Amino acid sequence: MQTSADLLAFLREVRLFTVFAETDLAALAQRLSERTLKKNQVLFREGDPGDEMFLIRRGSVLVSKIIKGRVEQLLNRMSPGEFFGEMSLLDGSPRSATIQAEGEVMLLVLGRKSLNQLTETSPHAAAALFHAMVRVFMERLRLADARLTEATRWGLEATGLDVEPR
Amino acid sequence: MTPREPSSSTERPARPVPAKLELLVRHDDDSFELREIGSSLGFVQSRPQRIRDGAFEISDVQSRVAGEQSSILKNTETERFLLLTEHERFLWELMDGNTSLQEIATAYVLKYGEFDFDIIPNLIRKLQRAQLLTLTPRSRLRKVLARNRRQRLAKAVEATLLGLERINISSRNVHGFFQALYRAGGFLLFTRATVVACVALAVLGTVAQVALLREVADVFSGFGGHAIRGVLLVKLLLFASVALHQFVHGLACVHYGRRVREFGFTFLHGFVPTFYVDVTDIFMASRRARVVTAVSGALVHLVLGALWFIVGANAPMGSFTQAFATASGIIQLQALAVALYPFCFIEMDGYHVFVDLLGVPTLKHDALAYVKALVTGRTRLRRTRLEFLWIGYVLVSALSIAVFIASNVWLIHSAIS
Repeated sequence: MQTSADLLAFLREVRLFTVFAETDLAALAQRLSERTLKKNQVLFREGDPGDEMFLIRRGSVLVSKIIKGRVEQLLNRMSPGEFFGEMSLLDGSPRSATIQAEGEVMLLVLGRKSLNQLTETSPHAAAALFHAMVRVFMERLRLADARLTEATRWGLEATGLDVEPR
Repeated sequence: MTPREPSSSTERPARPVPAKLELLVRHDDDSFELREIGSSLGFVQSRPQRIRDGAFEISDVQSRVAGEQSSILKNTETERFLLLTEHERFLWELMDGNTSLQEIATAYVLKYGEFDFDIIPNLIRKLQRAQLLTLTPRSRLRKVLARNRRQRLAKAVEATLLGLERINISSRNVHGFFQALYRAGGFLLFTRATVVACVALAVLGTVAQVALLREVADVFSGFGGHAIRGVLLVKLLLFASVALHQFVHGLACVHYGRRVREFGFTFLHGFVPTFYVDVTDIFMASRRARVVTAVSGALVHLVLGALWFIVGANAPMGSFTQAFATASGIIQLQALAVALYPFCFIEMDGYHVFVDLLGVPTLKHDALAYVKALVTGRTRLRRTRLEFLWIGYVLVSALSIAVFIASNVWLIHSAIS
C-alpha cells in the first residue's frame, strides 16, 4: 500500500499515534495494509487464531463474547481511530472476542511480520507505538472493572438478591 | 453492559438507574439483532425457587376476627419461622423454580383482581432472610471467609460466626435432656390423674387463700421486722419457680413430639432476669398442642400457689412461716395471672393462646401500630371488628397494668405495715 497523504492525515488524528514523529508515522504507514468488511461481516470469531491487529479507518465494529449458544454479550462498539486484535498479535493467543462489522468498514491491518520489521528498522517508532498501546490498555482495564461492577449490579437487581444491611 | 458515566454531585439521582445488559443474538442466516435487557426485566423473568420439599413445613392459622387465613412457614434446617398472609402463601406456592415472577404476578392479579407492586419484592426479601429461597448461597460466605483467613476482618467474622454456632450447638443438646426427663416421669404431668390432682389442689388452695386473706393484717404481721428480707426471699423462690415453669413447657413440647430448641437464662427486655425455653417448634403442631404447651407451664404457679396457701393456713397464726407462705402464694397467683392474662403488652403464654384462638398472631404489633396511628391522626377510625379488637386490646392492657401495679403496691404495703 502506498503511503498516501490521506492515510498520514488520518494516522495523525489517531490517539494512538499522537506522540509519533512524522518519520515514525511514515515508517508505520508503510507497513499497514487495508481490508474492507461488508455490513454484518464477521472479521474473526472468539477462539480463532490470529496474528494481526486492526485499526478502524471507517465504519464501526461490534466486540462480543459468547455467553451461550447464539447469544453473546456485547462488550464494546469501536469507531474510527480505535484499534483491536493486539492481544493475539502480541502473545499469539486465540482471539478473545468476536469482531463483526456494524456497517461498511475499512480497516488498517498490522501483521506480526510487519510489527517485527518496524521494531528492527524503526525502534523509536515501535517504542512509541507500544507506549501508546499501554496507555490504551490501562483505559480498557478501567473500563473492564466498571463493566464488571455493572454486571454485578445487574445480577443483584435481576435476582432481587437481598444484600442490604439487616 | 453499558457502564454509566459518573454523574455530578448536583445531579446525583436518588436511586441508581437500573443496570442494562447488551446482548447480541445471532440468527440462522448470519444476521443478528442487538437486545438491551434491563435488570428490571431480568427480575420479572427470574424464577424463584423455594427450598426443597422436606426442608420446610407450613401450618395454617385461621383468623376468627377478620376471616383471613395466615400460615406459619418454618425452615426445618435453620429453625427460622415466617408468618405469611394468605396472599403471600399463594405467591409462595408458585415459587417452584419454573414460574417466572411475571407469571406469578399475572396469576396474582387473576386470583385477587388487584396488584400490590411491593408484595413480591418484600416477600422475596423475607424469604431470603429466612433462607427459604435457594438463591441465597448460605454456605458460600463461610467458604470465602475460610479462604481469606489471613485478613484480620475475615478472621474476626469467622470467629464470631463460630462463637454463635457454639451457642446454637449447646441449645441443640437441650432436646435430648428434655426427652430423658419426659421418659423419667415427665409424661405423668400429661395424664388425667394429674389434671384431677391440679383441680383438687386449686380448690384446697382457694379455700386456704380465702381463710388467710380474711385476716391478712395478722398473717403478714408474722414478718415482724424482716418484711423486706421476707419479700426478697419470696421473689427469689418465684424466680426458681419460673425455671420449673419453663421445664414444663419443654416437657409438653416433647409430649406432642416436637423439638425443644433451647433452654437458658436471659434478661427479658434487656433487664428482667428470667429462664426461658424455646418451644416455637410447637407452632407446627395442632392448636390443642399449642394451647396445652402454653397453659401447662403456667399451671406450675397454680400448683405452687395452692401449696403455699395450704402451708400458710396450717401454720401458726402470726408466724413467719405463715406470712412467708401467704406472700409466696400471692406471688405465685400473680405469676399465674401474668402468664395467662393476655392483656399486658407482654407476649406471655396467655397472649399466645389468645391470639392462637382468634387467629390473629400479630395482634399486639398491629394493635399498637393502629392505636399509635389513630392517636397521631395518621389514620381514621374505621368501624370494623378487627379495629375494635385492636383498640380493645390496647385499652384493656393499659388498664390491667395499672391494676397490677396498684395491687403490688398494696401487697408490699400490707407486708411492711
